[in-house]
Amino acid sequence: MASSVLTNMSWEFALPGAFAGSAADAAGERVSESPMDDEAFAAFYSRSARPLWAYLARVSSDPALAEDLMQESYVRFLCAAGAPSLIANGEAAARLYLFRIGTNLLRDHWRRPRAASIEEIPEEFFAAQSRTEQTDSQIVLGPALRRMKPRERQLLWLAHAEGYSHREIAQVTGLAAASIRLLLFRARHKIAALLRNQGARMGRES
Amino acid sequence: MRLTPCPRENEVRELLGRGQWPVAADAELRAHAASCRACGDFLLVSEAFQKARAVTAAAAKVPPPGILLWRAQLRRRSAVVERLTRPLFGAEIFALVTALVAALGFGAFEARHGMAWLTWLEKLAPAGGWSWSALLSPDQGWTWMILLPAFAALVAFGGLAVYLRSERQ
Repeated sequence: MASSVLTNMSWEFALPGAFAGSAADAAGERVSESPMDDEAFAAFYSRSARPLWAYLARVSSDPALAEDLMQESYVRFLCAAGAPSLIANGEAAARLYLFRIGTNLLRDHWRRPRAASIEEIPEEFFAAQSRTEQTDSQIVLGPALRRMKPRERQLLWLAHAEGYSHREIAQVTGLAAASIRLLLFRARHKIAALLRNQGARMGRES
Repeated sequence: MRLTPCPRENEVRELLGRGQWPVAADAELRAHAASCRACGDFLLVSEAFQKARAVTAAAAKVPPPGILLWRAQLRRRSAVVERLTRPLFGAEIFALVTALVAALGFGAFEARHGMAWLTWLEKLAPAGGWSWSALLSPDQGWTWMILLPAFAALVAFGGLAVYLRSERQ
């Protein structure tokens, strides 16, 4: 039984530590080590997973997709040779890098032929939740967000929910900082008007 | 639409970022925020998004970090194995191509020299049975004697290539 298990295993897994460094180094290959140890990662993960999921879920309007992209973001973060180290670069840099990976994955998802265009995806998930689960902020923000384009949601979320500066948003989205200022200003102006209208409508209804 | 930001927006942003708005703001800044459209928009949007962030993040279902560490480890190992086996796969392809070229070269060489070595098979042939001489004569389509071994070699090496490929996967 044990031998059959061993014969079914790939040889690299049957040799613990075969690629711990020496074999790969001898071959002249660079093994991308994890940017942090397990405990540090667990702590970083507990602080950053929920905000990342919230960002991906609100921008994509798809919680299942957000979960997939969040997991993939962390796996890529751990595998990336150029990922910032938690000790050397600080948690803020690591977090920014993580959001950048998530944003790129989201962009890749939108670019796939089967996916809808970035301009067409509605913010429908949070509207589909039962009213009893919604807070006042969701009741007001949800309809307004649904009328925003995903790119606008992305910029607004990074700026106002995560509190990133224009330069940091530029790093995450890959857009020019000067463009972000203009896009964000317009998006903020648009959603503020929507929020005011929504608030006024709710006031009249109540 | 005026694109110039309000000069006091940074003060509002700083207090909001520290969670001290409007408690730590002086009366003048509060009055300004109430009358300034840009600061009003900023406050309205920021407060709505901060609340939404708290609610959405609380609703997140995140898997344990060990799963992600395990997946990352698997992927790193796969990447290393891929890099290490790439030259081996190239060598396999090179060996296959070399063998095919050698087989074809041998076949062509034998065809040019009349396949004289096959005459010994005539001794093994049954009396009145098939005749290698007849097969090798130009009007009897002797080219089959080249094509058949070549085809057999191609099938054999093709099977070997498929086997090596499936074993690699």
